[in-house]
Amino acid sequence: MKEAMSKFLCPYCSTTFGVFEELKAHAISDHKTESVPAPEGLIRLTVNREVHEIQVEPQWTLNYLIHDRLGLTSPKMFCDRGACGSCTVILDGRPILSCMTLAIECDGTTIETAEGIAKSNHPLLDSYVKHHTMQCGYCTPGFITTSKAFLDRNPNPTEEEIREALSGNLCRCGTYPQHPKAVLEAAKNLREG
Amino acid sequence: MKKFSHVNALTIDEAVSILRRYGDRASLIAGGTDLLGKMKDRILSRYPEALVNLKTIPGLDFIKEENRILEIGALTRLEDIAIDQTVRGGYAALAQAANRTASPHLREMGTIGGNICQDIRCWYYRHPNNRFPCLRKGGGRCYAIEGDNRYHSIFGGSVEEGCYAVHPSDTAPALIALDAEIRTSKRTIKAGDFFQVEVTKTTVLDEDEIVTKILVPRPPENAKSGFVKFALRKTIDFPIVNCAALISSSEGKVSAARICLNAGYVKPYRASRAEEVIVGKTFNEADAEAAGSAAVSEAKPLPHNGYMVQIAKTMVKRAILACG
Ligand SMILES: Cc1cc2nc3c(=O)[nH]c(=O)nc-3n(C[C@H](O)[C@H](O)[C@H](O)COP(=O)(O)OP(=O)(O)OC[C@H]3O[C@@H](n4cnc5c(N)ncnc54)[C@H](O)[C@@H]3O)c2cc1C
Ligand code: SF4
Repeated sequence: MKEAMSKFLCPYCSTTFGVFEELKAHAISDHKTESVPAPEGLIRLTVNREVHEIQVEPQWTLNYLIHDRLGLTSPKMFCDRGACGSCTVILDGRPILSCMTLAIECDGTTIETAEGIAKSNHPLLDSYVKHHTMQCGYCTPGFITTSKAFLDRNPNPTEEEIREALSGNLCRCGTYPQHPKAVLEAAKNLREG
Repeated sequence: MKKFSHVNALTIDEAVSILRRYGDRASLIAGGTDLLGKMKDRILSRYPEALVNLKTIPGLDFIKEENRILEIGALTRLEDIAIDQTVRGGYAALAQAANRTASPHLREMGTIGGNICQDIRCWYYRHPNNRFPCLRKGGGRCYAIEGDNRYHSIFGGSVEEGCYAVHPSDTAPALIALDAEIRTSKRTIKAGDFFQVEVTKTTVLDEDEIVTKILVPRPPENAKSGFVKFALRKTIDFPIVNCAALISSSEGKVSAARICLNAGYVKPYRASRAEEVIVGKTFNEADAEAAGSAAVSEAKPLPHNGYMVQIAKTMVKRAILACG
């Protein structure tokens, strides 16, 4: 588990712990308590297979948490109003907009960002490079996460289905024609292993 | 965003009691796709002190059909409705409406409850930092009537308010055409009676009332339903005008029709004139067009939105033909 940002104080002996789970285990074993209540705003979520436990403020968006706090910079902030797709992450299998999601409501969820997709060597990466599917590259992580979530559900898509799935992602450089080509090729490579 | 407190409700009763405690200082949050935009832009003079999260209440996210009634939990995401085989089969207008709402991502987040409870999109009303404290916010005037009203009502304002902001929902007309009912924490309301125009309100819901599910009676075997939408882009954009229809026919002749337009009036607009015209006719271009003309016979467009009359007429025609 990644080191948490918060310190947790034992209400019985004032020892501090970096992770809430450790405080809980300590209270149960050393003080023979049932448990200690989790502080408000403490959430646990899995991002790219790493578990994070972090104290969040109610007004933090998921984008702020991932990008500014966890330092994963792929979910891009662009419109900040749910209208461009640049901040897309995969949350429990769904491609969602991290700018319109409250971090505090993501307790217990599993999230995947473009960093995680890159680490897993997904064929989308090679096909996106091969088909020149980016120019400035700012919108690309949003397209990659949307495409990955789509291929997870639909491994053998038609070009039309790909266009529909990517229709919420805007690209000001105008790379649109390249995306269906890249996604079709990635789908083929995925199926052929 | 400015700070607020946040409560994960575990039951409807708990959510209701928090709403009662806070009065108008709390807001419910479902998918958040409408609400967070309003909060980020601080469009209202009042900012919620607390958000009550409905997503932590179990049992509000489901689609099932029992005894010829389709039930959809208020927290069901639009994408799940759009792809559901039962909805697509028996309640096509609703599946099509959900499928044309916003963008794929927003459909993965936005709920049906949030869709019918969403706020208006008038660009004066939505302007950041409460720049235009208009009638609909309790202020003294409507900025759209003297300003740019190209996306405003073509059927007049609301009587009491003189507000011309259209209702933007895509699923609302489908629910009205299908004669759905809205079940709340207090009562059951006909979809056609659910929408209301008041200061900072779009529905008849009380401040402590929560939508729990939607009930849609299965249309008769001889009926078909459909939904059409005109927007600037095929995706992301709100409707300029949309229309849903449920039409029964026997031996090729229309025996009953329910047709509802939205985004053309301050509430979903039942096209009863078009319904009268199409009953008894066969499905053909000329009669569908005549019904379209009847639907807009009472239109009173504003200086900048005359084009919407033509679109509304065509939407009615296409919705009828989609049921043939
Ligand atoms: C870029 C963009 C494009 C969009 N395009 C469209 C479009 O084309 N068509 C369309 O119809 N909509 C569109 N929307 C609006 C919105 O995304 C959808 O209407 C969505 O369905 C709202 O649902 P939600 O769960 O996110 O609502 P929320 O934002 O969570 O809630 C909306 C309002 O309803 C209230 N509410 C939510 N659930 C309940 C309940 N169960 N009981 C009582 N009150 C409740 C909330 O308090 C809030 O005031 C768009 C939004 C954006 C940002
Ligand atoms: S149309 Fe309604 S919401 Fe828009 S400025 Fe006029 S009063 Fe306000």
